[in-house]
Amino acid sequence: MKLTRREFSAGLAAGLAAPALMRSAWAQGATIKIGMCVPVTGPAAEQGLWAQNGAKLALAAVNKAGGVLGKQVELVIEDDQTTNPGIVLAFSKLAAQSDIVAFLGSIRSTQVQAMAPDVIKVGKPVMIGGTNPDLTHSGNPWLFRFRPNDNYSGRVIADFGVNTLGKKKWAIVHSTDAFGTAGGKALSEALTKLGAPPVLDQGYANQSQDFTPVVLAVKQSGADVLGTYFTFENDLGIFARQLRQLGVNIPWVGSPSVVAVSSTKLAGPALFNTYGVADFAEDSSDAAKAFGKAYRDAYKTAPDNQSAWPYDAITILSAAINKAGSTDPNKIRDAILATQKFAGAEGEYNFDKNGDGLHGYNVVKNDKGKIVYDKHIDFND
Amino acid sequence: MDLVLQLLFTGIGIGAVYALVALGFVLIFRATNVVNFAQGEFSMVAAYLMVVFSVDLGWPYWLSFLIALAGMALFGVIFNLGVYYPLRHRTYLPVIIATIGASILLSNSVLAIYGPQPQVLQGWFDTPGIQLGPVYLDSQYLLIIGVTILLVLFNFWFFEKTLLGKKLQATSQDKEMASLLGISVSTMIMITFIYSAVLGGLAGILVAPVLFVSIQMGSTIALKAFAATIIGGFGDVAGAIVGGLALGVIETFGAAYISVPYKDGFAFLVLIAFLVFRPQGIFGERVAEKA
Amino acid sequence: MSASDNMIPAPAVRSKPLIIRHLPYFIGAAVLVALAAGMRFDGYILNILLQATTFSIAVFGLSVVLGLCGQINLAQAAFFGFGAYAVGLGTADLHLNFWLCLVGGCAITLVAGAFLGMSTLRLGGHYLAMVTISFQQIVTLVMINAIGVTHGPDGVANIRRPELFQSSQSYLAFCVAMLAIVGYLVWHLPDTKLGRAMRAVRDNELAAGVNGIDVFRTKVSAFAVCAVLGGLAGGLFAGGFAYVSPDQFSFAESIQFLTMSLLGGVASPVGSVIGTGLLILIPEWLRFLKSVPGLYLAIYGLSVILIIRFMPDGIWGFVSDAFTRWRAHTRAPPVAGALQLKPATSGGDIVLEVTGLSKHFGGLKAVDGVDIAVKRGSVHALIGPNGSGKTTTLNVLSGLYKATAGRIVLDGTDITNMAPHQRTAAGLGRTFQNIRLFRSMTALENVEIGAERPGNTMIGKGDDALTERAMEALTFVGLGNRANELISSFSYGHQRLIEIARALASNPTLLLLDEPAAGLNSTEKLELHELLKRIAAQGLTILIIDHDMTLVSEAAQHITVLNFGRRIADGESMAVLRHPDVVSAYLGSE
Repeated sequence: MKLTRREFSAGLAAGLAAPALMRSAWAQGATIKIGMCVPVTGPAAEQGLWAQNGAKLALAAVNKAGGVLGKQVELVIEDDQTTNPGIVLAFSKLAAQSDIVAFLGSIRSTQVQAMAPDVIKVGKPVMIGGTNPDLTHSGNPWLFRFRPNDNYSGRVIADFGVNTLGKKKWAIVHSTDAFGTAGGKALSEALTKLGAPPVLDQGYANQSQDFTPVVLAVKQSGADVLGTYFTFENDLGIFARQLRQLGVNIPWVGSPSVVAVSSTKLAGPALFNTYGVADFAEDSSDAAKAFGKAYRDAYKTAPDNQSAWPYDAITILSAAINKAGSTDPNKIRDAILATQKFAGAEGEYNFDKNGDGLHGYNVVKNDKGKIVYDKHIDFND
Repeated sequence: MDLVLQLLFTGIGIGAVYALVALGFVLIFRATNVVNFAQGEFSMVAAYLMVVFSVDLGWPYWLSFLIALAGMALFGVIFNLGVYYPLRHRTYLPVIIATIGASILLSNSVLAIYGPQPQVLQGWFDTPGIQLGPVYLDSQYLLIIGVTILLVLFNFWFFEKTLLGKKLQATSQDKEMASLLGISVSTMIMITFIYSAVLGGLAGILVAPVLFVSIQMGSTIALKAFAATIIGGFGDVAGAIVGGLALGVIETFGAAYISVPYKDGFAFLVLIAFLVFRPQGIFGERVAEKA
Repeated sequence: MSASDNMIPAPAVRSKPLIIRHLPYFIGAAVLVALAAGMRFDGYILNILLQATTFSIAVFGLSVVLGLCGQINLAQAAFFGFGAYAVGLGTADLHLNFWLCLVGGCAITLVAGAFLGMSTLRLGGHYLAMVTISFQQIVTLVMINAIGVTHGPDGVANIRRPELFQSSQSYLAFCVAMLAIVGYLVWHLPDTKLGRAMRAVRDNELAAGVNGIDVFRTKVSAFAVCAVLGGLAGGLFAGGFAYVSPDQFSFAESIQFLTMSLLGGVASPVGSVIGTGLLILIPEWLRFLKSVPGLYLAIYGLSVILIIRFMPDGIWGFVSDAFTRWRAHTRAPPVAGALQLKPATSGGDIVLEVTGLSKHFGGLKAVDGVDIAVKRGSVHALIGPNGSGKTTTLNVLSGLYKATAGRIVLDGTDITNMAPHQRTAAGLGRTFQNIRLFRSMTALENVEIGAERPGNTMIGKGDDALTERAMEALTFVGLGNRANELISSFSYGHQRLIEIARALASNPTLLLLDEPAAGLNSTEKLELHELLKRIAAQGLTILIIDHDMTLVSEAAQHITVLNFGRRIADGESMAVLRHPDVVSAYLGSE
């Protein structure tokens, strides 16, 4: 009896321990690796940090839920130095590691463009946050976008201003960098389609110390609503203050930077009552609320779109690999493209054939320094 | 007309900022014959010191201000000993490159310590500005213009009326002669660096409430200030002020009436025009070289 | 000695054909090209190598303009961008042939570089730094804002490569081959006439001018060469990475090119390759520092300061300097014949005739209505107390200052309005009070610059004749056996002799000596006196400026005395020295 019992307990113990042991052995020996190119140095180092935070948060959740294909997921981060040559090197360094199954690219469109030739050569899925529409429309099958592209931001700003606020005389102010130029163009086109072509379309160079000429141009144009595409928060802060100082108080609907956390901090009251489109708005959905809570718990600060898209990208990518049941790039690609009605922090993902996951924006309002969710505008095309 | 007045005020305001930084350039150039490419970072460092003392530690504004300027004086000493002094016997080229290196070192050290988020620094006044007829006067710009005027007067008094100022002048004009007269050239250069760092710091602290405190705040202003010094005539204090103001006004009007995106280009076009047609600047620098 | 000689870096003629002597280089280059084509690299290594190769070519440009010619260029990224956009826009938008675009890009940068170089006519040093920065900023602004042409900040995608080099490996091999060819040319540039002129301008612009070098044209050439190399590199870069955008060609990149150049050693293409390689690899190695933003770049900035401080000639300069010193002691200089001085005699009895010469600085009349007549074959002295205007007079004579009024006639030619190098060509040779030798060169190379004076009838064709003449001049002053040593290893007195040898090698009609005895000890003064006698014995006219009375009274037959910018006495030596005004000028007013 004794012997039998000892045998029995030993067998039981072994039986119970084995899967756990095996799992931990797997976890140590082989992980699923996802590469991430992110600015750690350079002008966008700030945003890079938030992106890493978002990705790591999603990673922790995925791993806690059992990982991908039974393995833990590991993030391999490379600094893209906020430059185009930098991201080419960072990506090719990651791509040289054959065990990396997929990548997170940049939120900056030019960087995505710079790495695009290499992406085609490598032939593995790359999640991106760059919002230039061309990125997913120029025949590169491996780019998947986790933010709505600029066509949508322009259309949403136009739609909200014209149909919700009822304003038809638009002044557009945009940065002359890639993001601002594309955005300004999209907004102008969307307004023209709605029968309200802008009365002013004014570009400015990044890192301007003074916006008086721009503000006066807006003032003189007689516009009754302002649409903006600002890239850097400090530019936006200076502009907003001077706008108010010179007595321009017309409604203002802008690109995401208008409602970014740091702009709100820098500009203070000058941005009260402005509207911004935001791919991420914490109150827009339950998924966004859940992300917001988790992010606050982890980092003691409010999340931003910079951290929301990598969060969604890791979550959806992991789910897609699980669904594909393999790390074969083509199977992952099919699985991502098949993702429909997925509630992410940024909105509801319905991937189209181009690789665009989102087709609309939230409109949020700066209510005395608090960003509150106003409405969500989605398009079907 | 309202438009012109408003643009003029803004142009003078931003021009005063350039002038303040340009002053620091000119002082160092006169003393050492070297252009300090890290001058903009002096302003940036001072603004961050101000953030540390006044925002993070919550000290009173005036106390933070004084301590930040004292810190800049110390910084001037370190900069001279670390960057200029070891190279004082070499040509201008190594020194220029060393100051470029210093500029990279400074901005990225601050980035490493303080992180990349731009910071808010309150201004001296609580009221943001006053409406004077059709023109809105930003209080911080008024302060900057006021300080610039005071500094012009102070510099005149200091360099023309005090013994130390005269010694500094003598050193900048002829080092050999000055040392023959018993002036310690290296002490004079040290004082110049301290003064220049304090001036640059003052500019940084004054401009921070308008432009926010960021890593890049110094370098963008410095390039313009640099252009201002050449337009005014290198080596001339009054020239730096006039050059700075002129540049601010030209830039603002150019942006308003010609092109906003090319705003920064006007500064450099004017600069090239000056360099080609009047390299001695508005006030003129003696360009004759001793054989 | 025409313009074309100056522009084309023709390889020097030496004992063995160059191709054979440099065979190891070509074999090495061929091996590298073969490796680049044949070895299997992953994409990361390939990208790094491609970047390093193309950047190196751009940095070669800096080694020419900064290293050889001593001019600062903070716009190399703009030229790099010109080349890149030429290839990018040309192949992607206009569907032109790659080679056509590459050549077109180089042509554009040539013009732009020469244009920028023109600004050096009146500007140097920090002004030049500022002009190049402005140029760089404007180019960046245009790249961003001229959206219709450049696609603005979106950049240019889908740039094509030549048919021949479609695969990345073959393209890399092609770039390595270009690197080898350009490297070879840049390596040999210093040994050409243009290269020597650039080095002379860098080491001492004034001395270069008075030794017959057209300083302005040399600088423009240096800028043009630098720009073309930048453009070529940019074109290759664009083909390699298939995408270009304005932020790749910003001021920050120009600074990076400069740092690469300095780190490796600005004087040599080898240094350029070392510096470029390191600055591309080091950030890759130091990626572990990324956990703290800014830390890596902070270290980078600190390294720049430290390199400048402790390794002024860069890594390669440090190594090669040691090698040069070692070689100078082992290589015996060739034996030279006796120096022949045959001053031209086209004018009359008076070699130098100065009438009513004035030079005013604002209100200060440094020289005021001075007349001097120097007889052929004589030793003439110009003396005066400190501040009397002697050195100013000399500087007006050699063209460093422009005369306010008056006329200068040298051997029948009016040289009043000539540039320094033109006066040298007309037969004026001079030395300086504070020695102005080309410090990075050997004694022989310094004197060769002098011998190269346009219109020097005493040298035959080719480099051998040049070397021979220089050796003769060095032997004449007693330093022939140390010809291959660097200037820094000579004593002060010997440096003065080298300066005189440099002037003598050019076979001048008139030799101006500016305080030749200053700083010499008594033995050296005696040697100098002997030397002056030997020079005068060959019939060369000498004008000495000095206040060493012993030297002047013994050597000169004729003396002109200045005080407060005016001539107070003139005539035969002994008589002048006893003149009461002269005595009081020297003794009374103290």
